[in-house]
Amino acid sequence: MAVATAGVEGRLEGGGALRPDRLRPSNGNGGLRAFARAFPFVLPSFVGVTVFLVVPVIFVFVLSFLNWSGAGPFSWAGVQNWVNIFKYDGAAHSLGVTAYYVLLNIPLQTVLALGLAVMLNRKRRGMGFYRVLFLAPYLSTPVAMGIIWFWVFQPQNGAIDHFLGLVGITGPNWLNSSLWAMPVVAAVNIWQYLGFNMLFFFAGLQSIPRSLYEAAEIDGASKWRQFWRISLPLLNPTMLFVLVTDVIGSFQVFDTLYVLTGGSGGPGDSTKVISLQIYNVGFVGTRYGEAAALSVLLFAVVLLFSVGQFMFFRNRTTYEYSA
Amino acid sequence: MSTIAVEAAVPSATMASRAPRSRSLHWAKLVLFYLVLSVFGALFIAPYVFALFGSLKPESQIYTVPAWVPPVHPAWVNYSNTWGNFSQVQTEFSTYFYNTLLVTSALTVGQVFFSMLAAYAFARMKFPGRDAIFWLYLMTLMVPNIVTIIPLYTIMDKLHLVNTYWAMFLPYALGTPYTIFLMRQFFRNIPQEVIDAAKIDGLGDIGVLRRVIIPLARPVLITAGLIAFVFGWNNFLWPLVVSNSQSHFVLTTGLANFSTGPGTGAYLNILLAGSMITLLPMIVIFIVFNRYIIRSIQLTSGR
Repeated sequence: MAVATAGVEGRLEGGGALRPDRLRPSNGNGGLRAFARAFPFVLPSFVGVTVFLVVPVIFVFVLSFLNWSGAGPFSWAGVQNWVNIFKYDGAAHSLGVTAYYVLLNIPLQTVLALGLAVMLNRKRRGMGFYRVLFLAPYLSTPVAMGIIWFWVFQPQNGAIDHFLGLVGITGPNWLNSSLWAMPVVAAVNIWQYLGFNMLFFFAGLQSIPRSLYEAAEIDGASKWRQFWRISLPLLNPTMLFVLVTDVIGSFQVFDTLYVLTGGSGGPGDSTKVISLQIYNVGFVGTRYGEAAALSVLLFAVVLLFSVGQFMFFRNRTTYEYSA
Repeated sequence: MSTIAVEAAVPSATMASRAPRSRSLHWAKLVLFYLVLSVFGALFIAPYVFALFGSLKPESQIYTVPAWVPPVHPAWVNYSNTWGNFSQVQTEFSTYFYNTLLVTSALTVGQVFFSMLAAYAFARMKFPGRDAIFWLYLMTLMVPNIVTIIPLYTIMDKLHLVNTYWAMFLPYALGTPYTIFLMRQFFRNIPQEVIDAAKIDGLGDIGVLRRVIIPLARPVLITAGLIAFVFGWNNFLWPLVVSNSQSHFVLTTGLANFSTGPGTGAYLNILLAGSMITLLPMIVIFIVFNRYIIRSIQLTSGR
C-alpha cells in the first residue's frame, strides 16, 4: 500500500512540500567508517524487521509444507496441508465468503464516503464538527464497538428491533440468520471506517482548484454536471487509493467479525472468512501447517491486489494542475 | 484566462442564475442538507450513547428497556463490578487495563524511539547498503498482519516468550517500516545548514538528534506516537494468539473472552461497562489530538 505512496508528494506541518522522493544509487557511500557510524542507529529496527517480518514471511511458506501441533518438533508434510485446506477446512468456501464480504462492504462504503465528502466540502457552519464526528469510530477499539453493535443488533431485544417495532416492523434474526449475519458485519465495518475514507475524498476535493468550478459556472454547468465532469475525474487517484486499501483491508477483516459471531464464523459457516479460518485452524485446531497454507493463500490474493495497484499507479494518467 | 475576466464574469453569472429562484427554495435546500447530515450524525453518536446508558442499567433492564432510554437510577455498581472481581463471572478489568497500559506504553516508546534512530540514519547518513535496507523495509509494508501471525507465534514459542508481556509488544517495539518511512520524509526536509551549524558547534549524531531533530520534528513524533498508541491499545489478534491466561489479558482479549465465553449475551451491562472503559482513553485521545490524527491519515494518502 505505502509502496505506491512512496513517490507521491506529501505535506507535513512546518516542513513545507516534500520533493518527490527517489532513491539515489548507492555508489560511494563512504565505506566501512560510514557503516560503523550508521550501524547503531539502524540495528534495532533491522533486527525487528528481520525477526518479526522478513523471517515470518519466509517461514510461513516453509511451514505450509510442515506439520506442527504447537509443541514438539516439525515434521515434513509435503503438499498434504494444501490438499487438506481445500478438502477439510473449506478454503474455497472461506475465499468465497471473504469475497462476498468485500463486495458487500466496498461499493456502499465508497459511495457513502464520497457523498459525505462532497456534502462537507463547502463553507457552511458545523462542517468541521461533522468531519471530526464521522472519524470518531476509526479510533474506537473495534472489539469494544463489536460488543456494542452485538447488543444493538440483538433480535427482538436490541435497539434496532426496538426501533423497528415502533413502526410495526419485525426485524430478521440479524446475527442469528445466515442470510443477515454478513450484511450486519459489513454494516458495522462501514460505520467504523466511513469517516476514515471520507477524509481521503475530502482531501482530494480540497486539492481541486476553485478556478475549475468557477470556469464551469460561467459556462453554465450545473452542480451535478460539475461533480461528474470535474470532481470525479480529478478524484481518480484518490478513488484508486481508497478502493485498493479498502479491498486489501477487507480481505483481512477479523476483530469485529470475531466478536459479532462469537469467534465461530457462524451461523453455520456463513461468516467464516479466511482470516477467521486461519485463527481457528491454527490456534483452536492446533494444525499450524494447514493454517500457514491458508495464510499463504490469503497473502497471494492480497499481493495480487497490491501488484495490480502498483501497475495501475505507474501507468495511470496524472492530472497536472496548478492552483 | 486572466483573473480580471473571472472576477468580472462571476457576479453576473451568479446573478443570472440565482435571481429568479425564490429564497424559500434556498432555505428548503439548506434544511434538507442539515437534516441529512444530522441523521448521519445521530447514527455515529448513537452507539456510544446507548453503550453509556446500557453500562449504567441493571441487568434486568438491558434488554427490556429500549437502549435510547437513559437509566433512571444509574447503576454505578456495574463499573466497580467490572473493574474489580465480578463474583458471577471471573473477570478483572483493572488487571486488563494495567496490562494494556503497560504493553501499549512499551510498544509506543520503543516504536517511536527506534523508528526515529533508523529514520535519522536513512535520511541523514550515507552508508553502504542503505538503499537496499530501506527497500527491504518498504517491501514489508505489503505484508498483511494476519499472514505473519502463524509463523510469528511459532517463533515466539521457540523463544519461550508465549504468554509474556514481551511477546505482546516486542514485534512492534523495535521500529516499524511505516513509522520509519513517515519520519524519514520529515527528517529529509530539515535544512542541511541547520545540521551543519550544529556539527560545527561540536555536536555528534546523538547531539544533532537531541538538539536539532527532536525539537524541529515534534509534530511528526507526536503523530507517530499516536499511531503507535492507538494501534497498541486496539490490537486484538496478536494478544489473543500469544496470551492465554487471565493474568496476561489486555482489554480487547479480556472483552472478547468474556463475550464469547459461557453464557454468551449474559451480563451485557458488565460487558458494556468494560467496553466503555476500553473506549474512554481512545475518546479522550481523539478529542485532544484529532488534528494530528486527521493529518496522519492525510499523510498516508500522500496529500
